[in-house]
Amino acid sequence: MKIIACYSNKGGVGKTATSVNLAYAYAQAGYTVLLCDLDQQGAAGFYFRVKPSKKLTDARFFEDVSRFTKSIRASDFDGLDVLPANLTFRDFDVFLSRMRNKRSRLKKALVAAGSDYDVIILDCPPNFSTLSENVFRAADQIVVPVIPTTLSERSLAQLVAFFDEQKLPKKKLRAFFSMVQRRKTLHLETIEKMRKQYKKRILEAEVPFAADIERMGENRAPVSIFAGRSDASVAYQALFDELEKRGVPNK
Amino acid sequence: MGRKPRFFALPGNFDQDKFSGMLKGFTVAFESSTAARSFDLLDCHDQTLRAKGRLLIESERTLQLLKSDGSVLVQDGSGTGQFVQDLPDGPVRAGLKSFPKLRALMPVGSGTVKAKNFAVLDDLQKTQVRGSVLSLSTGHGKVTFLTVQSMRGYKRAFLDVCSALECMAGGASEKEELFQRLLPDTIPYVAKPEIKLGKQQPSIEVAVEIVRTYLEVARQNEAGIVADIDTEFLHDYRVSLRRVRSVLSLFKGVFSTEQTTALKHEFSNLMALTGRMRDLDVYLLEKDIYFNLIPANLHHGVNAMFAQFAKERNRELTTLNRRFRSAAYDRQMTQLVRLFADTKGLETGSNADRGAYDYACALIWKRYRKVCKRARGITPKTPDEAVHELRIDCKKLRYLMEFFAPLFDKGEFKSIIKPLKIMQESLGLFNDYSVQQEALLEFVATQSDAQNRTNAQLAMAVGGLIAVLDQRQKTERDRVIANFQHFDSSKIQTLFRTLFRHKEN
Repeated sequence: MKIIACYSNKGGVGKTATSVNLAYAYAQAGYTVLLCDLDQQGAAGFYFRVKPSKKLTDARFFEDVSRFTKSIRASDFDGLDVLPANLTFRDFDVFLSRMRNKRSRLKKALVAAGSDYDVIILDCPPNFSTLSENVFRAADQIVVPVIPTTLSERSLAQLVAFFDEQKLPKKKLRAFFSMVQRRKTLHLETIEKMRKQYKKRILEAEVPFAADIERMGENRAPVSIFAGRSDASVAYQALFDELEKRGVPNK
Repeated sequence: MGRKPRFFALPGNFDQDKFSGMLKGFTVAFESSTAARSFDLLDCHDQTLRAKGRLLIESERTLQLLKSDGSVLVQDGSGTGQFVQDLPDGPVRAGLKSFPKLRALMPVGSGTVKAKNFAVLDDLQKTQVRGSVLSLSTGHGKVTFLTVQSMRGYKRAFLDVCSALECMAGGASEKEELFQRLLPDTIPYVAKPEIKLGKQQPSIEVAVEIVRTYLEVARQNEAGIVADIDTEFLHDYRVSLRRVRSVLSLFKGVFSTEQTTALKHEFSNLMALTGRMRDLDVYLLEKDIYFNLIPANLHHGVNAMFAQFAKERNRELTTLNRRFRSAAYDRQMTQLVRLFADTKGLETGSNADRGAYDYACALIWKRYRKVCKRARGITPKTPDEAVHELRIDCKKLRYLMEFFAPLFDKGEFKSIIKPLKIMQESLGLFNDYSVQQEALLEFVATQSDAQNRTNAQLAMAVGGLIAVLDQRQKTERDRVIANFQHFDSSKIQTLFRTLFRHKEN
């Protein structure tokens, strides 16, 4: 079982789209995948038409393995299951703060409930919190979408600094450019600059800003399902290939 | 992941609208059907699969085995004319593991098959249950098989779907019922049909009933012999005729002496025509055994010998087919069937009206005493001939007991037939070893030239085989004596006496 987190401390960068399309790519490649929606908004579940979990409330996520397991739903795609979120997920930090070993509870919960899966993909909420610290510890790889703009650049810098501060292994960080608009000079310049600055942290794959990705909400399916030959679909496949090529440490 | 599917069988068509209507809160999305493809229903002649509640369907080089619990196994490949052990490895072959080794698969019916998938969707158009429909239809009727697959986290929907389908199936999951619906005219072949006898029934009626039954069985095997589907057709044909001949020779005094002699002669001739073919079948079936009897450096000669056998079998088959297809043969068989349709055309002998039970006891008791007398006289020094005669007497005793079995208590019969069977097996082997040696010698003779010279490799192989077979025959002889001692136990003696010995005998 390996754990891949889609994380950014900035909102609206394409985390959920990345989680959904990566999860689908892994399942298509023959892995058994659990997409775990940690974001109270439940967008990942929404994309797969899975309703919010009703019974996995409050601290049960971390404490009740059987409830966690029972809340998992099959998606319409072979090998891909979803753990849908609900609104109580917004209070994760509150529950975690009351627990012992509060920074490793997520890993414990995932190992207990998700050991049947080859890959667990985490769709994370955008903030620095006890939950995100749990994510950093649990994940083997942290995929960070970065829009090539000044604000996103700043967010990545903050994330790297946080890893330095907390002495977390930075090699887990796999940033990639998201929502790229190649006709914008700012985007091109930012990409060039950041690729020099973060040589080891940034992947080659770039996901364009595309109407097809926005249409995922309408179609409620991964982009490859309804726009298999689109640039967006090709880009997510390239992202998957690159992550797989670099490998994820098997645990 | 890894969730067990459930299976349902529905007589007739699958009513999609009714099914959709039964699922509250869900819609069912059906894909369009695949184009109708033709299928063959495969089984062997005695319909082993049908008896076990299984259906094997071949369609466009795909085999589907519907097991009695409703589950479906699928593998690529064709099965028609094949033995199960010769199919390519796969789930269907594995699922047919207990299928008779000597029986080939053949079409017992055909029709068209259509398939389609469906999804049970909730209000968000999320699939909660997946399913597939397999519709089989023949000229006589239709049957639908459904497979439904649950999805993780959607157990309630799965249970709803299953209860709807259970209700629609109405308990009609008995495969025989479905088989009847698809192929109502296909009567299962039975090699040894049950024959009902009455204790007071005149013996001539019993004899006629048995002969009539086995003539019918023999005729049911003719097409399979001609088509050369498997060797069991000829075997069953011969066994049936042998039973007929035994009735004629064992039921002494039931028919007139002249007619008995004429009929015995006629049936012997019928059997003689197929004798060589059966011998060759047996040699070829036991090919591996022969190879294992002698070292590998003699295998070349055995190979040459089997090549000859195979060639000869082809020639025999051609001759036999010509004979079976001839008008003369058909006329002869039709006349025999007509003759034994009732007792009218038959000349009666002195025992014709004797009650079956009384007659059976007399015949069996006499034969039993003969067997015992002969067997007790066999020592390591008695010539092989005596052992052969014992074999024939045992066979006659067994036939008599089998013919009249319906008149006696099943349990008691079983306990005396069992040791008899064991003894017969040993006698059979003893005979086989001796016949095989003779056949091998004869084979070498036919392969030799005018100066009586034989190909060295062939001669070595045959010599090796004869040496081994002779050893085995000697060992088997000792076993015959041992097995008889068991058959001759006081318990079995008493049983025979109480069952068959009556004062008037």
